[in-house]
Amino acid sequence: MARERYIKLLLMACASLSFLAILLIFIFILRESMPALTKVGFGNLFTSTDWNPDKGSFGILAFLNGTILTTLGGLIIGAPLGVGTAIFLDQVAPKKMATVIRRGIELLAGIPSVVIGWFGLIILVPFIARITNSSGYGIAAASVVLAVMVLPTITALSVETLRSLPIELKEASLAMGATRWQSIRTVLLPAAREGILVAVILGMGRAIGETMAVQMVIGNSRQFTLSLFKPTATLTSRLVTDMGEAPPGVFRSSLFAMALVLLIFAMLLIFSVRMITRKRKA
Amino acid sequence: MLRQETRDAGIAVLLGEGVRKAEERAARYDKAATWAVWSFAGVAIGILAFIIGTIFFRGITTALTPSFVFGKPQAIQAGGGIWPMIVSSFYLAFLTIAIVLPVGVGAAIYMSEFAKEGWITRLVRFGADSLSTVPSVVFGIFGMVIFVIYFGLGYSLLAGALTLTLLNIPTVMRTTEEAMAAVPHSYREASMGLGASRWETVKKIVLPSAMPGITTGTVLTVGRIVGESAAIIYTVGLFVRKIPTSPLQPAAPMAANIWHMYTEGALVSDWMRVANGEAAFLLIVVLVLNLLARLLAKVYQKKLGTKEAR
Repeated sequence: MARERYIKLLLMACASLSFLAILLIFIFILRESMPALTKVGFGNLFTSTDWNPDKGSFGILAFLNGTILTTLGGLIIGAPLGVGTAIFLDQVAPKKMATVIRRGIELLAGIPSVVIGWFGLIILVPFIARITNSSGYGIAAASVVLAVMVLPTITALSVETLRSLPIELKEASLAMGATRWQSIRTVLLPAAREGILVAVILGMGRAIGETMAVQMVIGNSRQFTLSLFKPTATLTSRLVTDMGEAPPGVFRSSLFAMALVLLIFAMLLIFSVRMITRKRKA
Repeated sequence: MLRQETRDAGIAVLLGEGVRKAEERAARYDKAATWAVWSFAGVAIGILAFIIGTIFFRGITTALTPSFVFGKPQAIQAGGGIWPMIVSSFYLAFLTIAIVLPVGVGAAIYMSEFAKEGWITRLVRFGADSLSTVPSVVFGIFGMVIFVIYFGLGYSLLAGALTLTLLNIPTVMRTTEEAMAAVPHSYREASMGLGASRWETVKKIVLPSAMPGITTGTVLTVGRIVGESAAIIYTVGLFVRKIPTSPLQPAAPMAANIWHMYTEGALVSDWMRVANGEAAFLLIVVLVLNLLARLLAKVYQKKLGTKEAR
């Protein structure tokens, strides 16, 4: 019996590791970003677009802008595509075909992000360069790459939601004489709204955090830009580009401040997902 | 009177006309929507096929030969291979699995067999949810600060494996919990009814029955580790050219090396070729692991005669 107790404690320790880990990550990232937050100042860090570590300017607004624009771009392309594919898989496709396509999309989720980045670099960037007469690097290229990466998340979770709806909903609607599209639009999609919203939010999480694929196609310049076809950077891409060369000090610390922003984004997403699912349960 | 009737009949005809028109329009929309979702799915699959096709084609036509796969990398001249990178990728994957599997399975056992719903389980779930949302690059620099610098492991396979353990705990936990949830309750009741303790029941009944799900999950996790790059470039390294022999040595797994080829590529004149070949080989490894996971699931399913969950 004593042995049973030890085993239970050991298992509990394993379980508590996940919470300890996130706590530790938060504490360490916060600690490492303190020098930047105090010396550069909160305001300077987040409102300045001037990133020039050699000259002592550490404004990350340009990269915050890059993260927000590429994420939005990725979702604008990826979310309709994902939800549309999910509707196809759950409502329209013949059963065999649905299975094959679902497997394919699961495979897409498994393709490493460097491989997708490499694909973007050798195919997408030259293509955009040719049609827009620019360098090809920039928010447009990154958005397309991110759309590819959020697609599997959004599709899989949307299919799950649609599938969890009671079959009676659709049958009742069809029995009233509604067409398939009318049933989907007026009955199924409203019923699945929260689930699809969660799917998009989790897709957004993937887009915000994606690093290598974006880094390879966005051009990594320091400039703030709203143009789709000018090289810029995101928080993640700047972080990974500069970390190798940043000496300990304010420079490195400001990179950790970027990580802190990413961490806070991730937490906000978690909380919004929890709010949505809690409301649904109640 | 007669006039009234005629008017009613006229209205009926008009109404009928309206309904017919509305129905026609609904049918048109239905057709258009059906067509639209078919093309959406077509685009999704097209993207997949295009990416896989391009990477394979480039890799096979420019690089993938036995001498490339099994060859030594070159520092300056062209013609280098990627064997040490392949070894490093698998070394890292097995080291990570050796750590994350016991921990993740242990956590899952606690959550599904021992814990009562309460603040502890809520904290654990919150932790796992958070870990699975935190970007991998954040894990990377956290691993760099704590394992590489603070614990003094330096750039090493071990530092990378510890970092990837944190990254993969949620997945291992989730797949294990799912597998254990699929084990019928009557099994546990029967075992405990015979006088077995909870741990004995877990060890002799629940874990063996959940093994297929755990194995499949593990294979998929290996795929994720092999493909991970952002979390390892600042913990494992990215340009080492030796085959690692100890967990305390730095290494250059394929995923990290592809990125290195592209950022510092000019060092080797044929960096495009190396990256092409490495990307294709990495993709092959990941696809094979995915197929293997599916195959395992199918074999187990046949053996146990149970239906696949989805």
